[in-house]
Amino acid sequence: MTTLAAIRPDDWNLPLFLHVLSAMVLVGTLVMVTGSVAAAGEGSAARLRVAFRGLLLAALPAWIVMRVTAQWLASEENLDEDSPGWVDLGFTTSESTLLLIIAATVCAGIAARRAGRGEAPGAGLSRAVAVLLGLAVLAYLVAIWAMTTKPS
Amino acid sequence: MYDTLLFLHVLAAFALAIAVVTYTAVAVGAYPGSPAVRVADVCWDVGGLGTLILGIWLALHLDGYEVWDGWILGAIVLWAIATETGRRAKLDLGGPEATGATAMHWLRTLAVLGLLVLMVWKPGA
Repeated sequence: MTTLAAIRPDDWNLPLFLHVLSAMVLVGTLVMVTGSVAAAGEGSAARLRVAFRGLLLAALPAWIVMRVTAQWLASEENLDEDSPGWVDLGFTTSESTLLLIIAATVCAGIAARRAGRGEAPGAGLSRAVAVLLGLAVLAYLVAIWAMTTKPS
Repeated sequence: MYDTLLFLHVLAAFALAIAVVTYTAVAVGAYPGSPAVRVADVCWDVGGLGTLILGIWLALHLDGYEVWDGWILGAIVLWAIATETGRRAKLDLGGPEATGATAMHWLRTLAVLGLLVLMVWKPGA
């Protein structure tokens, strides 16, 4: 049983590699940005810019690659029509967290712009980014559990 | 047992990714602040230990793999390279040898990418 669990066709390797790599970049960026926004409480415009650019230039592209390769894998494994629960959970998680990431990107962008003009960025915006991304990271923890244990 | 080990092993790998992404931001001049770097350092330490211990545990647990399989030995070598280059990147960051720290970080990133390639393709398995 444990041997079977470790075997998969070679055709799945490339989409799996890209899927895991993009998921790692996505989660890594979200955690980094959350820490950066916490640091921005000290009032640094530079850190808010890092948070905004990190979300825009790393997290969102990584999300797209992760989602496309997830569909590619589901297609390779013939799971896209009658999908088991863990696949549905993955798609639901990815789509709902996209909304959180977009909302966090908008909040970080507004806060960075205000801070760049010398205005107070607003602690509420920074807190909103941290909360939205914290929720997304928690959701991805559940998704990683589902992808590795495949409960159904 | 296998599911739990695999989940924790992959989770540890994600912790490594957090460190690599954060230090990549530092390397390209986008310093994310000291709290983010501290989180990255903790993730690197926990992820490093977790991937190695849980990876070897998985190899012992699975019938089809042995610790002395070529791809697993290769992964252990890459893990050691990533650990040492990561240590040097962390030590030199912000100091007079910052260029060296950046080079060490990119070497560490390549080693981690190589680890992921080995984990997915498992050549020779």
